[in-house]
Order: sequence, then C-alpha cells, then structure tokens
Amino acid sequence: MSTTSQKHRDFVGEPMGDKPVMALSGIGDTLGKKLEEQGFDKASVVLGQFLLLKKDTEMFTDWLKDATGANSRQAGSCAQCLKEWCDAFL
Amino acid sequence: MSSLSNMSAEEISELLDEYGIKHGPVVDSTRNLYEKKLKEAMAKGKKAKPSPDKTFYREEEEEVTYVYRTPAKSEDVRDSRTYMRSRPEWTERELEHRSHESPKYTKEDFPTYGQDAPKAPKSSRLIPLWVQFLCFLAVAVFLYLVFSSMESNEPLKVIE
Repeated sequence: MSTTSQKHRDFVGEPMGDKPVMALSGIGDTLGKKLEEQGFDKASVVLGQFLLLKKDTEMFTDWLKDATGANSRQAGSCAQCLKEWCDAFL
Repeated sequence: MSSLSNMSAEEISELLDEYGIKHGPVVDSTRNLYEKKLKEAMAKGKKAKPSPDKTFYREEEEEVTYVYRTPAKSEDVRDSRTYMRSRPEWTERELEHRSHESPKYTKEDFPTYGQDAPKAPKSSRLIPLWVQFLCFLAVAVFLYLVFSSMESNEPLKVIE
C-alpha cells in the first residue's frame, strides 16, 4: 500500500462510473489529452482496451506507451491501477 | 513474407499463436499493437512456425518425440507410445494400434506390442523407482519408531 499514490487509491476504491481518463493513476494532463484525441475520452473506455488485451498488464503497458508516449512508470502505474480495479469490481 | 497490415485479423491471430504470444481479439484498437509484437518476434527469430506435418514434443528429459501425421515408418511405432502418454489426440497410424493399446496416460508397458522398442520401457527418472520406494520405506520405518517410542498412552490413536 505504501507504493500506491492517493490517485491510485481513489480510483481503485470505487466503481469508476463516468470518471474522466485523467482519473487513472499515471495519466496526467498530457497523456490524458493524447488518449482523448484517440477516442479514449473516459476511464471506462481505457478499461475497455485493457479488457480487450485480456487484462495483461504487460501488453497494456506496451500499448499505452505506444499510443501516448507514456514512460514505463506511468504506463505501469495505469496498468496496475486498472488491474486492481478489475480485481475488485469486475 | 506478406505485409502484416495486409493480413486478415484471423491470420494475425494465428501468427500470434504460432509465436506463442498470448493475445486478445484482433480489433482496430489492438491490431497495431499485435503487428508490432509480431515484428519484434520475427526480428528476434523466436520459435519458428511449426511445420504442418509434425508436432514437436518434449515430454521426457532425454528424448524429443516426433509425431508424424503422415503414414509412419517403423521407428515411429516407438514414438507413438511416448506420445500416447500425454496427448489425447489420435493419429491415423495409431488407430491401427488401438486394438493393442488402451488410451491410458499412465506409463505402462505394452506387452502386445510386436516390436519392443530398442529403448527400455523404463521411463527416464532421475532417481530409479526402487530407490524411491526404499526412501519411502525408510521414512515410514523411522516414523513408526518415533511413534512407538513416545511416552503417551495411545500414540497411534488418531482423531475418532
């Protein structure tokens, strides 16, 4: 728990509903905008992509880095965030 | 090699399977990623595409067993034995031998086999079976001795 940020805990603690993509851990303004440009305008859409990749964090990390230019830390953080959300709510 | 972008989603999916890459559906948003993965895999020269005619098997440590789907030579008779232990598939050739063998997966000898394989029917274990039995017996005897030397009234009584 010590390595997760507040943002992570906020996201993973409740159903994501209509939260914007920026609510995802590791996704800030820059990455958020890039995702929105590609049509991923809500966190749930990014979740969709995560699920399409069969919840494989490695694949998702690769995809995110590729799609937005995220670095390993950001992509890994987002992947972990989604994975834990899925474990809790899916 | 045809360009990856010209392939259908199914072909991409098949290629991914051949390279042993775990993947989800190949759709618009995932296709790009999978194409990249395939390019990396091809560049690394990973496991080559398996030939359509045979399946490679590494069931035991010392031998690589080939199963040929085309009509077999006599040496394949031996191979089918090892093959049978683990795969539920039956090839055309093995149908002939079905009357001799039963589809069990335990390591049994096949006494009705005309040709006994040049290799011993013993499966390859690191420690021979009798040694394992011996060790087991030794442990059992030891435990018995421990129990019998215990001071408590009913050392052998278990939960009723």
